[in-house]
Amino acid sequence: MTSKSRHAASAWSIRQIVTLWIAAGLLVLLADRSIAANDNQGAQLAAMCTSCHRLDGRDKGIPSTAGLDKERLAGAMMAFKSGQRSSQIMHAVALSFSDGEIAALAEYLAAQPTGTKQR
Amino acid sequence: MTWTRRKFGTVAGAAGLAALSARAARSQANGRVVVIGGGIGGATVAKYLAASAATLDVTLIEPKQRYTTCFFSNFYLAGLRSLESLTHGYESLAQQYGIKVIHDTAAAIDPVAKTVKLAGGANLDYDRAVVAPGIAFKFGAIEGYDEAAAQIIPHAWNAGPQTKLLRQQLESMEDGGIFVIVAPPNPFRCPPGPYERACLVAYYFKQFKRRSKILILDAKDSFFEQDLFQDAWSRHYPGMIEWLPGQFTGGVKSVDLKTRTVKTAGETFNASVANIIPPQVAGELAQRAGLADQSGWCPIDPMTFESKLQAGIHVVGDAISGGEMPKSAFATNSQAKICAFAIAAALTGREQAAPHLFNTCFTILAPNDAVTDSITFKPVAGSIKINDIFISQVGESDELRRQGARQADGWYAAFTHDVFG
Repeated sequence: MTSKSRHAASAWSIRQIVTLWIAAGLLVLLADRSIAANDNQGAQLAAMCTSCHRLDGRDKGIPSTAGLDKERLAGAMMAFKSGQRSSQIMHAVALSFSDGEIAALAEYLAAQPTGTKQR
Repeated sequence: MTWTRRKFGTVAGAAGLAALSARAARSQANGRVVVIGGGIGGATVAKYLAASAATLDVTLIEPKQRYTTCFFSNFYLAGLRSLESLTHGYESLAQQYGIKVIHDTAAAIDPVAKTVKLAGGANLDYDRAVVAPGIAFKFGAIEGYDEAAAQIIPHAWNAGPQTKLLRQQLESMEDGGIFVIVAPPNPFRCPPGPYERACLVAYYFKQFKRRSKILILDAKDSFFEQDLFQDAWSRHYPGMIEWLPGQFTGGVKSVDLKTRTVKTAGETFNASVANIIPPQVAGELAQRAGLADQSGWCPIDPMTFESKLQAGIHVVGDAISGGEMPKSAFATNSQAKICAFAIAAALTGREQAAPHLFNTCFTILAPNDAVTDSITFKPVAGSIKINDIFISQVGESDELRRQGARQADGWYAAFTHDVFG
């Protein structure tokens, strides 16, 4: 191998690395934005819940959403939406959410640690 | 190699920088929001702005050190809750959320210079202002009933000293007396409020002044949840509450403070204790700042709650022309959150999610009998329309109503935590 060809091979592989880095950087950026966007939507939807429910685990008469995983939260919302679980208030709320909104909401609520500040 | 490395480093660095600058853009985005009024609307907007967009500089202007909620104040009139338990401070908003709470009165707003002048003399610059002034009373609509008259015959439609005065009068009223409630025309704060008040004062009378009666002189011919109330009156307080619609009395025309007599178009009623809830308009600052139209209420864009009359100023709560949305603390809290997210979007570039507007009211017919309404709303053509409505029914099981009462108690705790906690 000549010095030139070594250089060319090495330059090529570095170009690949550069491309990969840019792609990875973009992916990180996009993922960051997408997570932030979902989190943002989830936070705004969750603001509707906090008029009655506490997110920090304390409850009195109305259960807190703290400590519930996203499947359980989404399942409960879907059951309220269909009327399978009865509650006039939760039926009205759940009906106003699309299935996509329920998923974003459940993901956000499930990610809230007990004792978190409300957002 | 050196060249390639440098290029490699530069490009990788640029990608890193791009990631950093996206974060920096978010964290450096700054804006000043001045929120005027520390009731449910103002406190909620301030809290949700401070919590969801940490870089915003949020100031809350409220003359009072502590706020007493109008909702649940009928419990106090019945002797079932202390006024203290309905009173909340601003410590959490200041300490946990970093909101600058200034106990002063907004004297004027300059929408062109974007400044708020305080009665104390200070001028505050803003990028967005929020006005949450609540209601003002149309004193003079009933002859003889003005602000001074309210010190003798309370309206008790702002909680605090007025509620205390009414409770004192009810406590010192002789058994066998007549308590007259004058109910206002639409639209007014808390549509079930006057009738819930009749329920809970009747509950008090039933225990301590069994021969006493309640007379409601209404400006209207029907009222919210009328079937539920009339059913409750006959079940819990038979023969104690009489309701006279506007078409029957011709409306309340005047009041005599000395004799505590209330005159309608056709008749004169002597009250042992009277409670006059006057017709209402948007709070005084809204009128002065040019935020209210001829109706007396403030037209807003329901997507952002920005005033349709003054750019850069948002209005939430009882003061707005809310379309089909009632004037309630819950509705106000719901509007305030949408308003906060819209302002955060405008000032920080953060995306606003599709707004969900909601109202639910727990209405107390008796301590173990509460009903609810649950209404979702949507912005339609610049106004707010009902999307879905669910209301309790006459004839529901005692257990469901008991559950409602337990939930009401829990709701108060969670809701006031959401606003002030």
